[in-house]
Amino acid sequence: MTNPALSRRGLLSGAAGAAGAAWGVGALTADAEASVLAGTRQGSLPAKVDVVVVGAGIAGLVAARKVARRGHDVLVVEARKRVGGRVLNHILNRQGDVIESGGAFIGPTQTHIARLAERLKVPTFLEYNTGNSVYVSSTTGRMEYSGTVPPDPTILPDAAILLTLIDQYAAEIAVDAPWAHPRAKEWDALTLGEWIRSNTLVNPTGVENLIRSWTQPGFGADPNELSFLFTLWYVACSGDEQNVGTFSRNSDTANGAQERRFVGGSQLIPLRLAKKLGDIVALKAPVERIVQRDGRVLVHTGRGVVQAKRVIVAAPPPMVLDIDWFPKLPVRRKQLMRALDMGQLMKCDAVYSTPFWRAAGLNGFGLNDAGAARAVFDNTPPDGGPGVLLAFVGGATWRQYGVLPQSQRRQAVLEGFAAMFGPQALSPIDYVEHDWTKERWSGGGPTAIHGPGSLVEFGPTIRTPHGRVHWAGTETSTYWSGYMDGAVRSGERAATEVLDRLR
Amino acid sequence: MKRLLLLALALALVGFVPAPAPAAVAAPPRWTTTVFAKVPAPGYPAYVHVHTNGRVYAGTYAAVEAGTPSRVLEWSRTGTLLRSWEVPGQPAGSEHGVQVANQTRSGRLVVLDTSTSSVRTLNTKTGAWRTVAHLPGAVPNYATWGPGGALFVTDYGAGRIWKVGRSGRAKVWFTSPALEGAVGFGTTGIVFRKQERDLLITQQTTADGGGATPTQGFLYRLPVRRGGRPGEIETLWTSQPTDLPDGFGIGRSGHIYIANAGLTNQIVELDAHGVEVDRFPDAPLSGDNGSPVPFDTPCSATFLGTRILVANQSAIQGDASHQAILAVEVGERGRKPFLPRRAVFVG
Repeated sequence: MTNPALSRRGLLSGAAGAAGAAWGVGALTADAEASVLAGTRQGSLPAKVDVVVVGAGIAGLVAARKVARRGHDVLVVEARKRVGGRVLNHILNRQGDVIESGGAFIGPTQTHIARLAERLKVPTFLEYNTGNSVYVSSTTGRMEYSGTVPPDPTILPDAAILLTLIDQYAAEIAVDAPWAHPRAKEWDALTLGEWIRSNTLVNPTGVENLIRSWTQPGFGADPNELSFLFTLWYVACSGDEQNVGTFSRNSDTANGAQERRFVGGSQLIPLRLAKKLGDIVALKAPVERIVQRDGRVLVHTGRGVVQAKRVIVAAPPPMVLDIDWFPKLPVRRKQLMRALDMGQLMKCDAVYSTPFWRAAGLNGFGLNDAGAARAVFDNTPPDGGPGVLLAFVGGATWRQYGVLPQSQRRQAVLEGFAAMFGPQALSPIDYVEHDWTKERWSGGGPTAIHGPGSLVEFGPTIRTPHGRVHWAGTETSTYWSGYMDGAVRSGERAATEVLDRLR
Repeated sequence: MKRLLLLALALALVGFVPAPAPAAVAAPPRWTTTVFAKVPAPGYPAYVHVHTNGRVYAGTYAAVEAGTPSRVLEWSRTGTLLRSWEVPGQPAGSEHGVQVANQTRSGRLVVLDTSTSSVRTLNTKTGAWRTVAHLPGAVPNYATWGPGGALFVTDYGAGRIWKVGRSGRAKVWFTSPALEGAVGFGTTGIVFRKQERDLLITQQTTADGGGATPTQGFLYRLPVRRGGRPGEIETLWTSQPTDLPDGFGIGRSGHIYIANAGLTNQIVELDAHGVEVDRFPDAPLSGDNGSPVPFDTPCSATFLGTRILVANQSAIQGDASHQAILAVEVGERGRKPFLPRRAVFVG
């Protein structure tokens, strides 16, 4: 590969995993879940603690652990009856093979989630990446290819130019303040789709379709729904303090954000965090009201009222609007929360007795410019079986297929797999899917997105505390926003803010 | 012995027996350089402040586009970007730059704003800014606390040292031809040494012919008399031509590590008397330090453990990929910066 911007898993394949989550299908190791649930707080909640953390996803749990380690009383209140937020395991069989319904992948520069996983003894394994990929085109038909992008001569020239420009612009974006770029207003007024069409020489439709294969899994949205500035910032965030973010690092498998998965599933991380925290985690305690008065905060939950000195809210942005606030959220904060919309995404996995495509020299990655399975990954567990193919169904593809009866959607997804890997794909031994738009406490996935016009106007308030309330959650991160790594970073940062104020 | 055994048993029972100490991690060789953190736009870091809270701060000292607000950035001591603050109240259309030059005893950052010639504070707990003092016509560059809780500030644009009292009253405390820079390259770093009761000051060039060539810089020593008045300035070290000595740090050994922001792109190590001991890299110009980011206008040297943090500004090239904080192992810890109890601004 000579041009990283054209990395196969980059442009297209990354499509699937880029998801702020790199997502998979869900439940969790039964014994681990039972053990954690048993250890969480039962009965009434404490009347008073130092800090309440709202949300038991990775961000909230990391924040809680950091604050608790300094000797402060902490309570985590979680609306669901589980922990993990947008990270969710699914047990495939009696042997305990696991795939993910939510965030799944980890890659280079995601050092915060890597360090946390290592401490919690959750190892990783390489995503299968041996052999050819498959591209299915409505015009040129099916082809196998190796290397970076499908060998479509009508797309490659434009793609090379656009991806080079995206990397160049992204390198100028301040990850902590994308709205401060001299061209921020101009870029925020455009959608990614508009920018693609106005900068394409040969085949705008083809290139946009290709990039859609990245945005649908990565954002749960199409290029026409994304602010161009937001897209550039997302690419800029795909790095760390030592390495500037690039499109290829976001979208690729090898050396990219989809490089590895977690043995036992990514939800082991929040499960083990929660287990360590024990009864300071309270499940089935949705927050209904937050009142700040007289130098304290009252958090009204479904399981009672808790008083705190400080609160960290680590919930997806739209969920914040469901809370009754006193005093009310500042107008700009409220507008930001309204502007941020969750992506639309589901993950559909077909399970086979073996990963049969591997014997045919295929790596399980595929792209299709039409149909329900636009971006497909090999989602086979680390021991090589059973074989699992994963389709990300996001954005416009979700709007077309996500609303169908499950039997019709299943058929459409399997036909997409068959178009890539042969008729054997039509006969799985199991089929599972998870629709994040139906998750009451997430509202969609994999991440919250900015449409045109909102990032410059309201973005600067993203981390601004509201009185004694501080904000965490992957969307508030300055690197790997939308990913598990961003969640860890945001939890650490919010905890730092709170600890400063508790001194 | 029995009591010790009992104590050990008791500790073991309650789970407090400390784990065996991990094998000592060998310190990297001297001058090993790594990228601590790249500095996001608008970039151009010129100094790094290591706070008593353990975190690291830097401001953006310039911007490509006039009118771009300056920013103050905060990292953990391991280099994780935590927070940032936009500097408010900078005049539209002018060139903006700030330097996180120091901190107050209460933890507020002391921020020098070149676009308003002012000394400001930032409360990182609340995000509140306060303008403490105006230094009319100055280009405030570096600052150190000195006797009596006064803040001493170098002025890059004129040959003078400002003294800012606790009330915010600012006055020109010291002037000298030795501080008059040639073609705009003026006075840079300043550090108060409590034991010696003097200020060490770096000067990039002088117009008064103090060096063999106009492009040579200096490390000066300026005593602070008991009454608070300046003593006689003396030269401790004269740089090589085009070194442009900038910010510096002092090790516990008394050695002084100066970042040379000029063409030589080196860190120079002096002993406590100003005798040059070493330079890194050995060869000037390229700035090749073995890390992915070469020295490119290295501007300062602030101790963090046994490393010095170097603000790599890329002031001339303006290469954003070089605008970073670099960490250079020097094999000793730094002297604790002078931060007296009276290092606060009142009112």
